[in-house]
Amino acid sequence: MNRRQPSPLASWALGHLTSGDQDEAIAGDLLEHFRAGRSGAWYWRQVVASCLLSWSQSLTARGPALVFVLGWSVLAPAWKAALDRIADPLSFERAWQTFGLLWLPIGLIGWTALHAAFLWIGLLVYQFAHTFAGHPLPRRDLSRAFWIATLAYPPIAGLTYLLAGIYVYSMPGLAHATLASNALGQIADLGILPDLIRVPYLVAFLIALWPIAYRQRRGQREAQPYAPSTGSEATVLSGTIALTSRQRPANAGRFIGYMAGVGLINALIAGIIVCRLPNETSPSLASVLIHAAGYVAVGVAGGIMGTYIYWLSPWTATRQQPPIPFPLLAIVCASGWVWIPSMILFGDSLSAGAAIVATIATYALVSGLRRASYFISVPAAAGPAHAAPGEARMFEESLYRPPADLAGYAIALSLYAAGASLAVHSNYGAAGLLAVGAALFAWRRTLPREHFLERGRQYASAAVRVAIVIIPAILITAWALLDGVSYRNRTAAAGSNSSPLSTSKIGIHKPRVVTVAYNVGYESVILWPPPQKKQIVAPVSAPFALFGSDNKRPLIIRFDGPYTYVQPPEKSPGPNAHQAHGTPLDANIHSANALPVVMQAHQNLLTSVPVAQCREIDVQIENYDNLAGRISLALLLTSDSPHGPTIYAGQQPIASTEPEHFDVKAEPVRETLHFAVTESRLGEKFTGITVMLLPDVEHKFIAPRIALEQFEILPR
Amino acid sequence: MTSRSYLGEFELMLLLTVIHLGEEAYGVPISRELELARGRSVSVGSVYAALERLEAKGLVESTLGDPTPERGGKAKRYFQITKEGLRQVHETRRVLTSLWRTIPGTKLEMRMER
Repeated sequence: MNRRQPSPLASWALGHLTSGDQDEAIAGDLLEHFRAGRSGAWYWRQVVASCLLSWSQSLTARGPALVFVLGWSVLAPAWKAALDRIADPLSFERAWQTFGLLWLPIGLIGWTALHAAFLWIGLLVYQFAHTFAGHPLPRRDLSRAFWIATLAYPPIAGLTYLLAGIYVYSMPGLAHATLASNALGQIADLGILPDLIRVPYLVAFLIALWPIAYRQRRGQREAQPYAPSTGSEATVLSGTIALTSRQRPANAGRFIGYMAGVGLINALIAGIIVCRLPNETSPSLASVLIHAAGYVAVGVAGGIMGTYIYWLSPWTATRQQPPIPFPLLAIVCASGWVWIPSMILFGDSLSAGAAIVATIATYALVSGLRRASYFISVPAAAGPAHAAPGEARMFEESLYRPPADLAGYAIALSLYAAGASLAVHSNYGAAGLLAVGAALFAWRRTLPREHFLERGRQYASAAVRVAIVIIPAILITAWALLDGVSYRNRTAAAGSNSSPLSTSKIGIHKPRVVTVAYNVGYESVILWPPPQKKQIVAPVSAPFALFGSDNKRPLIIRFDGPYTYVQPPEKSPGPNAHQAHGTPLDANIHSANALPVVMQAHQNLLTSVPVAQCREIDVQIENYDNLAGRISLALLLTSDSPHGPTIYAGQQPIASTEPEHFDVKAEPVRETLHFAVTESRLGEKFTGITVMLLPDVEHKFIAPRIALEQFEILPR
Repeated sequence: MTSRSYLGEFELMLLLTVIHLGEEAYGVPISRELELARGRSVSVGSVYAALERLEAKGLVESTLGDPTPERGGKAKRYFQITKEGLRQVHETRRVLTSLWRTIPGTKLEMRMER
């Protein structure tokens, strides 16, 4: 008998778009109503109402906790500034020299503890406030919150730092933002930098308090187990997979997915830290194979250790009755983690192999997990997906309609998108997309045999899978090493044979190996103006006398400073920056990796200029860029002194490059951008002008061919 | 609970429905009864939100029943009124009745004519 089914999208929304505190009985009630004759529109209305109500209830219940967390995280910049004062970079360097690699875990634990201490104090204050109000938090909840805050902070802080590093030049004012000098100023400052410092504390604190606040406010007890029933639970047999009352399919699937994800991230971290190309330009095969085997072992060990740490943490809800034992999970996941080192090494040498290996790794990991968890993640009550052939209704086969398989469309889409990513040399993008496709494919297509119900068989099968993939994984890692060495040799040869500007191209490549011998390519570029026959006279040695009270003439400064090209998160060229003479109008500078290029120009003024005397600064540029897009020019007034202010004078779009005004330029086009100097910074002085060219997507990897001609400072 | 907090209109309706349905008081019949009584549609989500509020106040208690195939394997949540809930229903009824008694029938008729 075919029962009426509500819209799958509506059911999905009910399961996934509610706050998580929603009672599952609502879904059952809605389905029962629907099957009793309610319309699809009614079902949709109920789903939308349930989603809205669940979030409103959830946020209302957590209102006081949200306010507290928001208030507490406002203090975070002051805490960070205090930590920065305590943490002396020299002592870190000494510790690194003393302990070597051992310093890495020690330093990480110390760093986490120092930052998490802010959250611990916050939790204690929260507990104190509750005790004072007569509703103290249960000790178990509090200790769980301590753990959650401690474990949640580092990844969130890392992610925030990474994103801030990548978009440091796209967010106005961030590149030169500094914290205020006193605690009160740091707390009161709502600028971009203090807010970025607050974000990880806020999120980690919220994650820690989220479940507690709800229980505390609503007076909820711990989730009650299902009442005993005969039809819904898998039979509990010794030595076979047993679906106990607490291990509901969704929870078990989430738990396994979470553990595998954690292991994957840790394997990636271990791989990124450890995997390096051998120093030799032509390493022996034995050396490469030994390196490869070691790296594969590191990938697997990193994944297992990372998973185990999270497995042991007290806030892992199902650890008392895990759906599968840890050794089985570790062996199953190892078949995916063995591929991580080769993926990282291929990625380093900008090879499309990274995408292919990511696909293999994801398929191996997901299909292994699917086999191990199939009889847990599929609800026992759910019937077979398709009717048996003998039960098919008459003409049903001839009237077959293809199912609306969303996963199939997603796989196809990810394949097309990965192809497009590979075409633009975005290997990591392609790797991510292919991994998504492979994961969906493996999840949908893997069907274990009946005998997989036996735990012993599962161990044997997982071990065989690891044994099968380990040799290919080592060989592919060795191949990645050889490919990396070959790539490094090629780029080194290219770097030594070509003059930087003779080919009108400068490739910026930042290899992860930072040894001097193999530091090929340019980690950054400084482009000085072409040397002139006559000595350049300092442009602004005396003319500031012109800014007298009775003088209203503008001061014109010809630009004679350097252009710098860096890649985020770097803000300035490093000591190994490549230096050349030329003008951006003639140079074709582009990124040779997946990081964008950011162009800056700086003009020193030799003397300090009071902001009070400037009404406006006009920047005259020459634009020879023949790539249409939107580029903005940001102006910063800088000071020589280390604690001097950096005044952000705003940013203006360069009109001659915008698509609506764009013409192919046979020769450079002149354009003047006007920046008003606000009166709020009147008491300050500046000694330099920095110009940043903020690129759009088209110019993210190719530096614009725009040169600065002069600055015109108009007196107030 | 000793505090004298009076029930809202919807809360009172819910408690009366739960009392009326007895052992069969779960989401579907509760919302159906409410729709019949009020003569308009009711959101199942709002029924649960209000019941959860009442549970937090200790006026009702709930237990999970068996999941059934008709409900896609989801359990029913059965609600039952507590002693405190019953006391508050009586108290609200007493207050409402005494207030109704203070209003003469003629006043109500005049207002309804307007």
